[in-house]
Amino acid sequence: MRTVKKGNRKRPKSKPQEDIDRRRDAAKTKITPRDDGELDFFKRRAMFASVVLIVFFAVLVSRLWFLQIQHGEEYRNLADNNRVRYLEIAAPRGNILDSKGREIVTNRPSFNVVWIREGRKLDEQLIKTMAVILDVNVSDLLARVRKMAGAPGHFPIRLAEDIEWNKVAYIENNRMELPGIRIEVVPLRVYHYGNVASHIIGYLGEINKKELQKAEPDVYRGGDMIGKMGLERLREKDLRGEKGRHYMEVNALGFEQRNLKGIDPLPGNDLQLTIDIDMQKAAEDIMMSEGKSGAVVALEVTSGRLLMAASSPVLELDKFIGGISHKNWKAMLENPGHPLLNKIVQGQYPPGSTYKLVTAVAGLAEGVITPETVIYCPGYYKFGNRTYRCWKHSGHGAVNLKRALSESCDVYFYQVGQRLGVNRLASYAKRLGLGKKTGVEMEHEKSGLIPTSEWKMKRYGKTWQEGETLSVAIGQGFDLVTPIQLALMTATVANGGTLYKPSLIEKVRDPDGHILEQFSPTILERFSGQGRNLALVRQGLTEAVNGRHGTGRRARLKNITVAGKTGTAQVVRLKQYKHLKEKDIPYKYRDHAWFTCFAPAENPEIAVSVVVEHGLHGGSGAAPIARAVLEKYFGKRQDDPENVTTVVLPGRLFAETVAPSTSLPTDQTLH
Amino acid sequence: MLRFDRRLIHNFDWIMLLMLILVSAMSLANLFSSTWNGGPGPSTTFMKQLYFFGVGYMLIFILVSMDYKHLEKLGYVGYVVICGLLVYTKIFVHTIAGTQRWINLGFFHLQPSEPAKLILVLVLASVYARSDVGAKGYSLLDLIKPGILTLIPFGLIVVQPDLGTALMLGILFVSMTIFARLRWSTMGILGGVGLVVAMLGWKFGLKGYQRRRIETFLHPEDDIMNQGYQISQSKIAVGSGQSFGRGFMEGTQGHLHFLPERHTDFAFSVWCEEWGFAGALFFLSCYFFLLLWGINIAMTARDKFGVMLAFGLVMLIFWQAVINLFMIMGFLPVVGIPLPLFSYGGSSLWTTLLAIGILMNIRMRRFQTQ
Repeated sequence: MRTVKKGNRKRPKSKPQEDIDRRRDAAKTKITPRDDGELDFFKRRAMFASVVLIVFFAVLVSRLWFLQIQHGEEYRNLADNNRVRYLEIAAPRGNILDSKGREIVTNRPSFNVVWIREGRKLDEQLIKTMAVILDVNVSDLLARVRKMAGAPGHFPIRLAEDIEWNKVAYIENNRMELPGIRIEVVPLRVYHYGNVASHIIGYLGEINKKELQKAEPDVYRGGDMIGKMGLERLREKDLRGEKGRHYMEVNALGFEQRNLKGIDPLPGNDLQLTIDIDMQKAAEDIMMSEGKSGAVVALEVTSGRLLMAASSPVLELDKFIGGISHKNWKAMLENPGHPLLNKIVQGQYPPGSTYKLVTAVAGLAEGVITPETVIYCPGYYKFGNRTYRCWKHSGHGAVNLKRALSESCDVYFYQVGQRLGVNRLASYAKRLGLGKKTGVEMEHEKSGLIPTSEWKMKRYGKTWQEGETLSVAIGQGFDLVTPIQLALMTATVANGGTLYKPSLIEKVRDPDGHILEQFSPTILERFSGQGRNLALVRQGLTEAVNGRHGTGRRARLKNITVAGKTGTAQVVRLKQYKHLKEKDIPYKYRDHAWFTCFAPAENPEIAVSVVVEHGLHGGSGAAPIARAVLEKYFGKRQDDPENVTTVVLPGRLFAETVAPSTSLPTDQTLH
Repeated sequence: MLRFDRRLIHNFDWIMLLMLILVSAMSLANLFSSTWNGGPGPSTTFMKQLYFFGVGYMLIFILVSMDYKHLEKLGYVGYVVICGLLVYTKIFVHTIAGTQRWINLGFFHLQPSEPAKLILVLVLASVYARSDVGAKGYSLLDLIKPGILTLIPFGLIVVQPDLGTALMLGILFVSMTIFARLRWSTMGILGGVGLVVAMLGWKFGLKGYQRRRIETFLHPEDDIMNQGYQISQSKIAVGSGQSFGRGFMEGTQGHLHFLPERHTDFAFSVWCEEWGFAGALFFLSCYFFLLLWGINIAMTARDKFGVMLAFGLVMLIFWQAVINLFMIMGFLPVVGIPLPLFSYGGSSLWTTLLAIGILMNIRMRRFQTQ
């Protein structure tokens, strides 16, 4: 402002002269320079603009005065008489069915009591009355109300969940004495098979702050249930449906007067799984009744459909309904069987001798062995200055591929591994689906580990030792696999070399029955040109179950030829336990037992892999469980009634039926 | 370009910043209430707007470090880019709710018609600063260039269709042109033509819903559940606030979903309901002080470009605010014009914050010679 005045004094020019000057200046520099005369002109115009702004301000304020002060009371009444209130109605979640359409998870209605305060202060008398009706402590109710003290008065505060019918009836009948109290109908999950398939299905829980912030707006609100694990979480969008709204007319005290039209909730989509619930239950029942922890996976070898996938111990789903208590959660965390771990995809174990499939396939494919190659096994193999032992200390003598697989000769595979080298071995392991995530619809899948020399350099900064290749060739050392990977590997060997992506979902159907998604096999990789070699490996595996000295004899079925491979995964290599009897080794140091198989051997349909943590031997610890799954699968073709009873009463009874068939001495079933 | 002058800190526009912070705080508090969804924390919408504010404030600080004379060139570049984006939205973008307004940038849905308003102000300020006015003001011929520059984006936004924003461009053109001084004869001719165009437009140009909005405004009782309903619920919300309001988060009109668009176009209704006359008066005082301060910046600017630019930017905020406030108070039909700084939306917020940044920039350099 000061500068402007000064400029004026300096330029006592007449108007026309000023005009000419300005035009000349404008021609010289592009932008009109500071021309105090012209800026002064705009200053006057801006002043005028300020007046216009102030007039508008005055108009707005007087309008506010008119609406809020003069007519405020009328509008307040209108607002209070805006008598339409609404309650959200939760949508029933989609059902989860098994491959044959049997219901695994559905809903039932449950009744919650909510209190809508509206304008009222905390009404102690009402809370006391409610405590008597609901048969709970007054202090518990007050605590619930106080927790929501920050919420606006029209937000429903939940006083009790899933109350009994007689209480619902009592509250409905005495509505007039209970201002603001309403019954909310909320669908709750019903698990028709108890905890069966709990790791696949997962559970629900109340939506938390983070989930609420991440969700799209207007889909959830505080207090809603949301999938927390398994398919309930991964398929939340399919399952959740759309909320409805219930409009009602209320009077000034908040009592319901009349229901108005509302929007019905839209139920969620149904999921039909590829899982057969009978097979699933058979495997879980045996694992649970024998107190075994581990995993069982069965795949349809020609498509990648998961026929069953169990992780033991199971989750106790009913403890999650309506939110899990701290005590139950802690108990699950401390359980040595780690029920919260989904071992199907999260359990990583050394594959043990089951890995010999890979070594055999790689050896044949790379031409370092032929089916006729004979290697002499004296019970040990000297390499460098170390001696690598065969599990059979007396030695197998001269063995070819078929015998090496069926009797699980370590010395044979040490030498195949040595001829191949670690990197060639790893490339075949990867082609058979090991060492990488399968992409199945389960959370936090682990990739396992198939070592290469490059990996070791990166991880430890050390060069690969050839001796380590020998350990890796028989599935020890750095090797780690997940149960689903092993099943996938077996299925790939069984079907002649096609790696399918494992899938859990057969169909997704909307409430009107339209199919939104339909399973079709996804091929991850094709292992071409190996048909003959894979057939040779299959013969070896058939021998392993059916041969006189086979290690997997306990998986045999009456009318179906089973082919499979046992495995023992060392947990620790401690000298002090070497000479102890097995039952004297502390549980947590006992070896893991593997069994992986497919059937029928001639024309494979199904592949099953079993791992039993600290189960000692694949042949005795894991094979019977695979057998139970196969029995269920081939159930209709089995005419032996004894097999049917094992289904109803598994475990003990099963062991009895199997016992006579094991004519071999126990130490021969080691691998 | 980014050469730093210590005097700039000395001359920093603290008053504008203070007003901006006050208005932003009220805006966020209101958004927290209107989008609260029952959770223990704020809604996603709130968090997004908080992020938009954060980025916008950073934009301001970047902007003020560069002399505004460079904005002239940038304005023309921006003009070409924005027109390109508007053509792009028309051709390639899927229709959302009947119009094609948003471009998906992955992290953000840009509505190019918002920055278009700002760019237009820049371009017009440059045109008027460089062209010479006789003592009587601009003739009709002088207006051909600014007129065409306005008509191109105007047309592109009309076909989206987004009549509200297009009209804003027209209003900006008219206010800046009148401010730059117009001959009385020119004004008379333009006024007459404008009237005829408006009448023809009403008859032939308006879409059904657009005409209905105006009709329901004139006869609200014919359409109680829709347009008229929205306005009358908004009036109830504002009025029921009375002197001191229902209290933070206690507004029934907003929280019980009687108010439509309660975090965008009708955000200020929620504020009036919850904070009453006292709160509304305080907000409007801050808001209009900010605008008057902007006019003051125009009065003290160092050159004609600064004057025109500052004035145009104030008009940009002022007219949107007036239209929005008139709408929620029942003076105008429902037009989708947000209340700058107060309604939810990133494009509008960033445009407004950039405008304020430019105003602060002009203020800081009022003593500098070029």
